[in-house]
Amino acid sequence: MHALYDLAVGPLAWLAFGVFIIGSVYRLLAMRALALRKDGAFVAYVSWPHAFKSLAHWFTPFGALGWRENPGVTIATFIFHICLFLVPLFLMGHIVLFDTFRGWSWPALPDGAADVLAIVVVVICAYFLWRRLSVPEVRFVTSAQDVLVVSLVGLTFLTGVLAYHRIGDNLVLTTLHILSGEAMLVAIPFTRLSHMLFGVFSRGYIASEFGSVRHAKDW
Amino acid sequence: MSTIADRLIEDEGLRRGVSRLTPEKIEKVFKELIAGECGARLKTYVESCVRCGMCAKACHYYMSHKDPSYTPVAKVSQTMWRLLAAGGRVEPQVIYECAQVAYTECNLCRRCIHYCPLGIDTGYIISVVRRLCHKLGVTPQYIQDTAHSHSAVLNQMWVKDDEWPDTLQWQEEEAREEFPGLRIPLDVEGADFMYSVIAPEPKFRTQLIYQAAAIFNAAGLNWTMPATPGWDNSNMAMFTGDSEIMSRVERAHYETAQRLRVKRIVMGECGHAFRAVYDVANRWLGWKWHPVPVVHSVEFFWELIQQGRIKITHKYADPVTIHDPCNIIRGRGLMDKLREVTHFLCENVVEMSPNREHNYCCCAGGGVINCGPPFKNVRIVGNSIKAEQLRATGVHTLVAPCHNCHGGLEDIISKFGLGMHTKFLGDLIYELMEKPEAE
Amino acid sequence: MKRRTTPLALVAFVAALLLALPALSQQDMTTVPDEAFKTRTRPPALFKHDEHNEKAKLDDCTACHHGEKDGKRDPGADTSGIPCSDCHAVEAKPGRTPLMRAFHKQCLGCHMTQKKGPVTCGDCHKPVK
Repeated sequence: MHALYDLAVGPLAWLAFGVFIIGSVYRLLAMRALALRKDGAFVAYVSWPHAFKSLAHWFTPFGALGWRENPGVTIATFIFHICLFLVPLFLMGHIVLFDTFRGWSWPALPDGAADVLAIVVVVICAYFLWRRLSVPEVRFVTSAQDVLVVSLVGLTFLTGVLAYHRIGDNLVLTTLHILSGEAMLVAIPFTRLSHMLFGVFSRGYIASEFGSVRHAKDW
Repeated sequence: MSTIADRLIEDEGLRRGVSRLTPEKIEKVFKELIAGECGARLKTYVESCVRCGMCAKACHYYMSHKDPSYTPVAKVSQTMWRLLAAGGRVEPQVIYECAQVAYTECNLCRRCIHYCPLGIDTGYIISVVRRLCHKLGVTPQYIQDTAHSHSAVLNQMWVKDDEWPDTLQWQEEEAREEFPGLRIPLDVEGADFMYSVIAPEPKFRTQLIYQAAAIFNAAGLNWTMPATPGWDNSNMAMFTGDSEIMSRVERAHYETAQRLRVKRIVMGECGHAFRAVYDVANRWLGWKWHPVPVVHSVEFFWELIQQGRIKITHKYADPVTIHDPCNIIRGRGLMDKLREVTHFLCENVVEMSPNREHNYCCCAGGGVINCGPPFKNVRIVGNSIKAEQLRATGVHTLVAPCHNCHGGLEDIISKFGLGMHTKFLGDLIYELMEKPEAE
Repeated sequence: MKRRTTPLALVAFVAALLLALPALSQQDMTTVPDEAFKTRTRPPALFKHDEHNEKAKLDDCTACHHGEKDGKRDPGADTSGIPCSDCHAVEAKPGRTPLMRAFHKQCLGCHMTQKKGPVTCGDCHKPVK
């Protein structure tokens, strides 16, 4: 287990960051090249001012019709995504690893707050899974991959929470936590999680069409 | 859970189409289509859709049926995802199902864009499915007939070359009874604008041409209509997925305007035609914008009112409500002008809710009404949400500046016993305007 | 009598205690000393000095109690008895190792290279039983 832990915090961590960053950059550039090659008649209408205006609405809770009409999902989605970024990036335990081995340090969230936010992520993952399996219109379009990626995120945060509270064998849970987190990073460029990369561009494109051609709002 | 397979409707065009297919043939055409015509948009949409189901409430079909297989994402999952997962190698029956979903259960109204945080354009994906069905020769019989008509005579309704000027002259003659000096100027080079209409107008709604001529006459405008093919601005080929015919039709339309050296094209009160001329065919022809400026009637009437060229004797007294047609509202942002014109004409305007860009579709557009009788009941029952929306206004007059919307809304009104009647802006203006020369 | 002997005995006891302090503190040490930190985010890391060294077969004090030369770790100097925080300030100047990093490097770094001993947060930072 000790060896696996070493592997997870060492080579695998660099591998995961590498695949995530290089993979993401590659996917974005490849998609851009494809758009320029095949969607020229549509790329031509891209208008950043319209894109930013629309994105501002979509990044505001209840700032768009879809958010207003789905209040439960909206609240869950916003809290989920905010925590999803905030907790890993500003968690004491993560910063300490960088501080110890790289000498990089930045301000951390108070442990108690990070703990609550991480638990919130786990609860929302459970809510998303429940929706997948019980809400008919979601279930109708759910595939194995959808369940898998939500579970992966949930597992990462759940093992993190358990390790923090020292429930179960700490080495086993911490190792599992690191490995599932790494799997999540690697999955981002190559699964549904790629909406993290493409989401602003697909929204920005349609916002451009609506704004500059159709003169109508798209939120 | 029920799927499209549980509600298949017999259509001769679809049936005959799939009878000629084999999985190999489908695979070949599908792969060519994906490699040849699709790019980053389809790839991004298919890949990054997180299947959250938020779009369900956008769709009038889902809101009316509450059946999960009618949500926008479900329509994509039952068509494009299914085809992509199989690499296009599917049984012909699957194409039948894809065609029924794509042609008759989605109006391409784009309301779902207001629901998807990722901005996924379901209408575009469904258009690609239609393109595939067209290439495979699997199209509903009725709409295919209109596409054939476009192909043969460049208009939707098999109006022969000589029938067209004949009809215009007949309407001119009729109108001169009422307005002695009225002309419907044919082929006048250098006129201020070319007025174009959809083929159903000369075919069976000639009154609309009459009214337009009366309004332009009263306003003292310098206008013309072409005497040659290229006069029809409708475009059903756009909705069958026949981009080649679509662009031929629009090219003829633009070129007719250019031949007449008009300053711009004013289009009658039709939504899909506007979409074709303003937003779609120009791209296929390689024009970023239009070679000739294009204005929809709503905007044109608004201009005439601003300029004081339309004078009315009185305002329409009964309360009216406004239906926002997708192709000129979500497609052109004319919601404010539509309201200003309506308020100019009517005493009492009751807004329906939701409205403007968020309005529910009429369920006729996107070529759905053109798929004809076999699918009529589905689209009417599939829009009970619109009926509820209309009923809630409590008014009896419905302003809808779009032909397709008229068709769809009238069907809903009669099916659900709403006791309303629909009006074009042209109907109202003609009814209310000062008729100086009238005898 | 009583009044005089009690203070004397007390002084002797305190003196003895002071002399024996380093030895005593190491024997009784259960955690890494964290007095220097103004705020504590976690319980102090469990560390039974003698037991640890016995288990780790550590005889050389400089393995941990190292000195410093030209801004680098100097394993030649034995700094036993000097609190770590004397050199490793909590808020260190640029180029120096702050206390928390020093502790983590010392413990975690060695455990990682030796492939022995606790390496996760929760295996060190836990309440004393």
